[in-house]
Amino acid sequence: MTLAELDRGASARIDALPDDLDAASQCVSMGLRVGASASVLRRAPFGGPLHVRVGDVELAIGRELAARVTVSR
Amino acid sequence: MSEAAPVVAFLGRPNAGKSSLFNAVTGRRAKVGNFPGITVDVEEHDTTLPSGRSATLCDLPGLHRLDGALGEGTDEELARRLIDRLVDGPRPAVLLQVCDATRLALALALCRQARARWPQAPFVLALTHVDELAEEGAELDAARLADATGARVVATHAAAPDAARLVLAAIDDAAPAAPVDFDPEAVAAAVVKRTSTARRGPRARTDAWDRALLHPALGPMIFIGIMAAVFAAVFLVADPVTDALDAGTQRLAAALRPRLGDGFAASMVLDGALGGVGTVLVFLPQIIILIVALEALEASGYLARAAFLLDRAFRGFGLGGKAFVPLLTGHACAVPAITATRVLREPGERLATILVIPLMSCSARLPVYTLLISAFFGDSPLRRAGIATALYVSGIALGLVAARVMRSSVARGRSLPLLLEMPLVRRPMLRPILRRAWLEAKEFTWRAGSVIFAASIALWILLNTATRPAAYEGEPLIDRSVAAAFGRGLEPVTRPLGFDWRINVGLVGSFGARELMVGTMGVIFGIENAGKEPAPLVAKLRDAKAPDGKPAYGAPTAVALLVFFVIACQCISTLSAVRRETRSTKLALFVLVYTYALAWVCGALAFQLTRALSP
Repeated sequence: MTLAELDRGASARIDALPDDLDAASQCVSMGLRVGASASVLRRAPFGGPLHVRVGDVELAIGRELAARVTVSR
Repeated sequence: MSEAAPVVAFLGRPNAGKSSLFNAVTGRRAKVGNFPGITVDVEEHDTTLPSGRSATLCDLPGLHRLDGALGEGTDEELARRLIDRLVDGPRPAVLLQVCDATRLALALALCRQARARWPQAPFVLALTHVDELAEEGAELDAARLADATGARVVATHAAAPDAARLVLAAIDDAAPAAPVDFDPEAVAAAVVKRTSTARRGPRARTDAWDRALLHPALGPMIFIGIMAAVFAAVFLVADPVTDALDAGTQRLAAALRPRLGDGFAASMVLDGALGGVGTVLVFLPQIIILIVALEALEASGYLARAAFLLDRAFRGFGLGGKAFVPLLTGHACAVPAITATRVLREPGERLATILVIPLMSCSARLPVYTLLISAFFGDSPLRRAGIATALYVSGIALGLVAARVMRSSVARGRSLPLLLEMPLVRRPMLRPILRRAWLEAKEFTWRAGSVIFAASIALWILLNTATRPAAYEGEPLIDRSVAAAFGRGLEPVTRPLGFDWRINVGLVGSFGARELMVGTMGVIFGIENAGKEPAPLVAKLRDAKAPDGKPAYGAPTAVALLVFFVIACQCISTLSAVRRETRSTKLALFVLVYTYALAWVCGALAFQLTRALSP
């Protein structure tokens, strides 16, 4: 499943980042790395971004990008 | 250790507290310098280290990473290029990374990349917000962190009284270290000892704030409330202050007039200088209130929340939530706002944002808004604040629509999804905000005293130089002056908007700086009413007569002029900032032409509509 599909309040382990190297490097620079645990705090309505906690950092992540991050529970 | 004076680069992630610590260390005396070879303003400060060596400290733009395709001209790419130059430069370079101790793992990931890219440079890790870490019940092992990273480590926070001394001492002691590689996660986990896993202190407070600020229904309402409150406050609070200052200027003119007599010089001082500069200067309080509000919002961490809330809506206009920050900054001044677009990574989105920033109502428009609203739209402060808010909203709405158009024409390109760190919600520190307000006040006063003073005197001369002899006995000099002839020449163009020669003269003057519109009106009506009792400019505007004896201006002209000022990019500095950031004179001219054309069309429509609707 992807990070975008994760229920609100649920947490999961990140298994894979986007294929595109630049997007992946950007994710890593924000703390989204393979093996890290991410939880969805809330989603903005109408397909807006997700509010995600990874480690001790909180991020706003656009839904398209979250859909390219693979996670497992 | 080298005896030559080192250059110390303050680097760090956005929101790490870099500028706060830089200000604390430099005692807020830094000057904006220009980096050799790169046209980027960097704050610099020369200081003396405890050992007696001198050093230059500079505050670089924020960056998240050093690898990957960093878009040219973005903050990240500029910061990387600046450090590359420093490290290869003639003076020894010291790198000082400011790290948010509450988010250590991310900071260490950047530190690892920096140590690998510039292994020869001595490195200092300056940890800030350690007070918040302590509040969370966590302890930091600085010695272990220094061992693991090969950096000097100093732990402090920007408000600590000894922050400057500690940081300068660490810079003094920094020495090149053998290259090391480390796992940022593991090091962060090893050096921060948490006594409990419960979220408390600043993180718990942030969670509570976010439940309200980011709530699907409440969040947008709070956002609209905050924005409306800021813009309304500018008027509700500043209006009486401005009135009082205006009355003070009137009294000063009245007191000076008997002493100076009726001569030529007296008119130049009273009608020219005081009429122009004094009229502009009374708008200082509004601008200060606006700056303080925007700075406080930024320091509190709220802007990232706003970007989260707005991202979805902004996508409909081809922009992302991150574009909100430059657009909001544009309400203070377009020039720093255009620089602030460097946080946007996608070139098309960045260009579209730059091109529409001039439509945001900047603080230089405030004097014109206030003057016209007070003169023509009644005395109720609420009604006045409402009209002003409507002007702000129409600028924003027009800007978003224009962005949509740009994104499918001159600024095409993909849209990057949002990826933004949400900083902790923090109480803004008062001193940096007051410092910013003080700098703004100085800048505004300086402009009033120099540019506007010179322009007012020039205008006074043009208004007192006749183009022809009097057509009849007692024809006022001003009616046959150079300025009047010039303004009348433009009347065919501006007639559909209801403007007369006086407004035209103001419009030409305000091309360089918008406040000049108000200054020009001050000078013209000062001369026209020289023999009469001193009255506020508002009253003079309302009582102004056209050649046929009817009132010269009414609500339709005022509405058209307001619309014109919302849209037209009457500002040389903005155009030069557009040119600098886009590296294209064509695009700067495009901004000039599209805003003036749009302003003329919308102004004419507004005039005709208001006239048709008014009794």
